[in-house]
Amino acid sequence: MITESTRIKMRELAGRYPNPRSALLPMLHLVQAEQDEVTTEGIAACAQELEITQAEVTAVATFYTMYKHSPVGKHHIGVCINTLCGLLGGDAVYDRVAERLGATHNGPSADGNFWLERIECQAACTHAPVMTVDWEFMDDVTPQSAVDVIDKLAAGEEVWSTRGPMIRDFQATEHTLAMAEDDLATIGNCVDEKMLAGLKIAKSGAQQ
Amino acid sequence: MTIVNHNEKIDTVNVVIDGIEMEVPKGTLVIRAAEQIGIEIPRFCDHPLLTPVAACRACLIEIDGVPKPQPACAQVLSEGMNVRTQRSSEMARIAQEGVMEFLLVNHPLDCPVCDKGGECPLQNQAMTVGRPDSRFEGEKRTFPKPINVNAEILLDRERCVSCARCTRFAEEIAGDASLELLERGAQQQVGTANDEPFDSYFSGNVVQICPVGALTSASYRFRSRPFDLVSVPTTCEHCASGCSLRTDYRRGTVTRRLAWDDPEVNEDWSCDKGRFAFAYLANGRIESPLIRENGELRSASWPEAMHFAAAGLAAAGTSAVLVGGRATVEDAYAYSKFARIVLGTDNLDFRARASSTEEAEFLAAHVAGRKLDVTYTDIETASQVLLIGFEPEDESPILFLRLRKGVKRGVSVHTVGPLYSLGSEKLSAHWVKAKAGSEAHAISGLDSEIVGALDSNSIIFVGERAAASPGALSAVSRLGSQTGARIAWVPRRAGERGALDAGAIAGLLPGGRPISDPTARSEVAQAWNIDADSLPNVGLTGTELVTAIKQGSTSALVIAGVDPSDLPNGDELIAGIENADFVVALENHHSEITQRASVVFPVAVVTEKSGSFMNWEGRSKPFSAAFREALTLTDAGVLSMLASAMNVQLNGDTRALRKELNSLVPWSGPRTDVNNHEVHAPAGTTLATWRLLIDSGVMQEGEPHLAATARPSVVAVSAAMFEQLGKPEVITVTGPKGSITLPTQVAEVSNESVWLPMNSPESHIYAQLGCGYGQAVTVKGGAA
Repeated sequence: MITESTRIKMRELAGRYPNPRSALLPMLHLVQAEQDEVTTEGIAACAQELEITQAEVTAVATFYTMYKHSPVGKHHIGVCINTLCGLLGGDAVYDRVAERLGATHNGPSADGNFWLERIECQAACTHAPVMTVDWEFMDDVTPQSAVDVIDKLAAGEEVWSTRGPMIRDFQATEHTLAMAEDDLATIGNCVDEKMLAGLKIAKSGAQQ
Repeated sequence: MTIVNHNEKIDTVNVVIDGIEMEVPKGTLVIRAAEQIGIEIPRFCDHPLLTPVAACRACLIEIDGVPKPQPACAQVLSEGMNVRTQRSSEMARIAQEGVMEFLLVNHPLDCPVCDKGGECPLQNQAMTVGRPDSRFEGEKRTFPKPINVNAEILLDRERCVSCARCTRFAEEIAGDASLELLERGAQQQVGTANDEPFDSYFSGNVVQICPVGALTSASYRFRSRPFDLVSVPTTCEHCASGCSLRTDYRRGTVTRRLAWDDPEVNEDWSCDKGRFAFAYLANGRIESPLIRENGELRSASWPEAMHFAAAGLAAAGTSAVLVGGRATVEDAYAYSKFARIVLGTDNLDFRARASSTEEAEFLAAHVAGRKLDVTYTDIETASQVLLIGFEPEDESPILFLRLRKGVKRGVSVHTVGPLYSLGSEKLSAHWVKAKAGSEAHAISGLDSEIVGALDSNSIIFVGERAAASPGALSAVSRLGSQTGARIAWVPRRAGERGALDAGAIAGLLPGGRPISDPTARSEVAQAWNIDADSLPNVGLTGTELVTAIKQGSTSALVIAGVDPSDLPNGDELIAGIENADFVVALENHHSEITQRASVVFPVAVVTEKSGSFMNWEGRSKPFSAAFREALTLTDAGVLSMLASAMNVQLNGDTRALRKELNSLVPWSGPRTDVNNHEVHAPAGTTLATWRLLIDSGVMQEGEPHLAATARPSVVAVSAAMFEQLGKPEVITVTGPKGSITLPTQVAEVSNESVWLPMNSPESHIYAQLGCGYGQAVTVKGGAA
């Protein structure tokens, strides 16, 4: 059920924009934070709060791939399969993770606790291949290290992003995305030497 | 070539298209300019009345100096632009061919079973600009077939080319954004939300504008091939909007109706009632004259029935003529003449609904004989629009669409009434709350800001319901003369405006001539070739006339197209007919009237005759018969024969009648203004009601898919009344005759009124409650 406290947050989001409708994207994340997926009920709630039709909400909710239409489970696992990550082992990582989870692309694991997705470029090629857990980075993964992370998560052990905060769960991340709570952004090393290497070369003029 | 009118000062640009020099208004799109010089650029998503999206890419053209092909439907011409279409550019030709090949990748080759086959822009353009064959060898995408986007409209998703015409129509034109493009990429598809159908009075338009066969209607699907149909232009008979439609028929049966492009009236659109409600034309018709013998109706030959009717009318006492609001102008004019010349009576009315003396005065003062005072186009540039006793979405849907167009251009709309409806919302209207029946108070008490802003560029639309609100029409009249705002009366039925101008109402001769005015009488007498003294004096109308019929002071009746259940005092009319000496009914379907008539003459329906309707603007909308071979007679034809049987010559020819009526130019003599009528709104809760567009109307019978798109029957109350009643799930409304219990809907309703549909399933106001708009009712939570 969409609770009254979620409704209040929806209204707060709508109030952040000159045109309330602009709040639809975060509102849909809020629905996922509450219900682990975008439900019909959640669509109806967004439509009602924004005074738009359910069809208009459905159009948005089905266009963007971050919105899921069946329960995601406890954690969302993304493996980048774009050119660079794929060549550097991403494809192999994906295969192992899929096998470990018993899942196919954009679907739940056999036990329903995870959701697997081949994802597009995350702008993290420096640390390719990358995997994301609830949209937090796991840099430079190998098939084995990726499966280790999943085993730990399955066992309920503490797991930290290689450059960010501790992994909570999918719904908590969705809440963060919805409300743009930015206190988590300061945790961990968001920028390291490897990422800046290219920029340094460019600035040194070594290319010419 | 130049498409600029040099009388108006507009900015223009000089361009070249395929080597042809043109001067076009600034802002013209390439595709529109090319059309002007006969160059057809292929297109799917482009529609002149929708905003450009360049979604389908079929219209790619080359522009000198621009490296890549550009979409002609979204490219605005600028000074000096040199455009080359597929006719002169290899780049454009190849680009169009490529797009077409891509569009066909996922399009099924099911043209032989597709409704659109034979009139399909995709089929046609694939032939003209496409490759002879496809290089695609994969599997086409498929979907389960078909899905209902509402009860009447079906969607075959695999045929869709994602042009977004339907979704743009739904949002931009109809204001019902419940049809959307869902999903993305190869899965992109048109659809609705899970539990919210494409709920729109205008849904049929998406079938017509779909450039492929993706959207079809349940009523026409698989019925016919377009090339087996005969198409004839017609005028819609359902309401006073006066839409131009196209009737398609095959072997004497209408298979479908479409909107006809009429820029001055309905543009390219029609409502679902106009499009889908035509089964009544063929079903359940009266086939031969009937006469009553020993209390029973039996078939009779035309001559026998004519002599029977003539003798009956001649023998009876004072007579009256009631012609419902559905007659063509020519037929109404024939009734008007028949009453005055043959029957020698002015007891005459076309208003088969709640009416008043005040309304008759208002019509004589402001409406009769005044043509095109206010037009559809005027709405787009009006300074303000006031709606009084009028719900455009239900009562004149095409006017509603034009109001929406105006609102988009900045026209502000105020609606005076007891309910802020869905339609009001779609017009972003300002609500002047009024208890049903006390509109007069609301008009007199209008904000000085609104009144101050009314000027000669403002329009006051008054609906037929204003007649049921005492004092409202005199208040409108005063407001008009005080501010200079123009007044337009919008009746609901197609024939009312024409009947008024034809003089089918007591007190008014054709062209708005007062029957009491000697000059008016002599003008008409001259046209009719009779002695002015032989014209009758002012007769009875409306309620008084029905009462006279009931009391027997009027004992002979000619009645056509009247359903007693449309009248607040329908029971009195039925009682009167039962007691009358003689009743002649002209009808195409059996009714409460024909069951009690002395003689019944079958008459032609719109597909079988020519004629014209006059829409609310006062615009004449002529149409000719679809089935020329039909043997049925028009009302005027029957009246002519009847007159002849009574030894009076009355021309029944439609063209002759039209010519004669047109020769009676509108009355320019003095008019009497509306008297100031007393305002007497009942105390307590009053009834707010009107007819929904899709309801239990007899002309909508036989089309179950259309009926299934009707809005549900509910009782609408304000939040405060809802609380007061104890938040009931159902509410019972009780009038003098009985009660109606329906599900509750909390809406923006005046706290002193309660709203119910007037003639919808389980909600027939006159029959069940025994009272009408603005009258006192009691409201209670729960069932009776």
